[in-house]
Amino acid sequence: MTRRKREIARRVISTLIIAVVAVWSLGPLLWIGLTSIKPQGTEYRMPVEYWPENPTLDNYRTVLGERFHIQRSVLNSVVVSSGAVIGTLVLSTLSAYAIARLRFRYRFHTLYSMQIAGMIPPIVVIAPTFVLMRALGLIRTYWAMIIPNMVYAVPLSSFLIASYFANVPFELEDAARIDGAGTLRTIFRIILPIAAPGMFSAGVLAFLGSWGEFMLANTVSIGSARVETVPVAVLSLSRAFELQWSWVAAGTVVTLVPIIAAVLIFQRTIVSGLTAGAVK
Amino acid sequence: MVADRAETRIGLALVAPAVIGLLVLNYYPILQSALYSLFALDSSTDWLRARFIGLRNYRDVMQSDQFWYTLFFTVGFTVVVVALDISLGMLLALATFYVPRGARGLLRAIIIVPWAIPKVIQASMWRWMLNSDVGPVGDLLVRLGIAAEPPLFLVDRVLAMGSVVVAYTWKGSSIAAFFLMGGLALIPREVIESAIVDGASAVRRFFSVMLPIVMPTVYVALLYRSQDALRVFDVIYGLTGGGPGTATDTLSSFAYTAYFRYAQFGRASTYAVVTFLLVAVVGVFYIGRIKRNFSFRE
Repeated sequence: MTRRKREIARRVISTLIIAVVAVWSLGPLLWIGLTSIKPQGTEYRMPVEYWPENPTLDNYRTVLGERFHIQRSVLNSVVVSSGAVIGTLVLSTLSAYAIARLRFRYRFHTLYSMQIAGMIPPIVVIAPTFVLMRALGLIRTYWAMIIPNMVYAVPLSSFLIASYFANVPFELEDAARIDGAGTLRTIFRIILPIAAPGMFSAGVLAFLGSWGEFMLANTVSIGSARVETVPVAVLSLSRAFELQWSWVAAGTVVTLVPIIAAVLIFQRTIVSGLTAGAVK
Repeated sequence: MVADRAETRIGLALVAPAVIGLLVLNYYPILQSALYSLFALDSSTDWLRARFIGLRNYRDVMQSDQFWYTLFFTVGFTVVVVALDISLGMLLALATFYVPRGARGLLRAIIIVPWAIPKVIQASMWRWMLNSDVGPVGDLLVRLGIAAEPPLFLVDRVLAMGSVVVAYTWKGSSIAAFFLMGGLALIPREVIESAIVDGASAVRRFFSVMLPIVMPTVYVALLYRSQDALRVFDVIYGLTGGGPGTATDTLSSFAYTAYFRYAQFGRASTYAVVTFLLVAVVGVFYIGRIKRNFSFRE
């Protein structure tokens, strides 16, 4: 096959791949989008209606309006998830450094006890955490979600970061030491830049984990719209009354827009992070 | 390794905050559950006043057919979805390296989207999609002439199992793909190019050149996805509620029902402890494998 032909074949196959993946990944969201512009009540119409007869933005007016203020939950989720990510990255980077870079006697004890903690089923954690947060007077505050989410993400992110740290040759670190750089300087100048993609992935994981966390957020916010996160607020659209699918759909779209925008903005960072890892 | 005194002291200080957090927010609750599981606790968690029954909850659980069915289903579900998550995730990740540079960002963005959807929304979304009266999936199957009438996705036993698998994998493969993209990016270009020069076919290149290099990442993805699948709750609870009957109940959703609906705290705690032990056994196995790929300071 000539080079040109091969190039055309690749383009055709690529287009097909993208089309198939788009149907699988975005199909359900397209359905949500269509449902969100159906007049309330017509989402149950049979036979199934794909394009609404009278498309409307009423559902958006409802969920964004005074009654639900769904946009507030986006702000709440951003605060909770950002707080949790910052905390997680600090806790996990410190632990990962001890596990992967030091002659630390308890490194395996720490590694195992952290990973095993990550295996505890969420259902057993919720009730005691609620009691603890109530004792600390943190119920209906962001802290009741930030602190637990920050800790929940530690096992996975410390593991990821430690595995990136382990990739940095010790000679690099030792050379910096010999050149007179202190421990902190070595960490910041030599190790962190190399581990940055790992930290970025760990951060994304922690952010989305906290963004989607439902049980705890639902328990500690106890119906207070002031601190309700996205999943709690969207689900409450369906529980408050009969299932109002068109509202739930509009709420889902509204709360998805910022996170998809963030993914698209960080797209470059994700890609460059990934290729930075390749220079090994 | 020769542990260094001074470095061990620094190490302890560095891991202390994270370890304390995990002790308070993860270990304390599971120990409390282990304690509850030794008492006859119904509709109250006042264990000091409850009757101590030792391991009788465990014996009762072991003797119930429901438990073995649920355990079997949870493990089977995990094996299937993890296999799907990893293989689909790998195909998706490979696809992002295959498409021309210009389309790469677009494809990556499309793949990442399901990951951004909270699990509870994922579950209710699929329940809507798979509804046999007003859902589009059944309707499309009928229109395409594949089915005579919309299948009862969430009512029929086998179809319900298939539905939870599909709904779960929809997001799980997206997460796995993200991990594996990172792993694939670590493969040095020259390695692949020299395999091409040697005339290795694409399939062979993947299995004998790329896969061994990506294996550490695959293990991390396996660890993470199996932990998640063995403890699956939101997707089951939101999609089928464990139904029809208890056909799609997993250990976690079963424990949740016992805990929050029937307030059988002793029984629910027993399920939770069993789930934890199951996940821990699998987890420790994977960590052992992953640890080998770490290089530690000697």
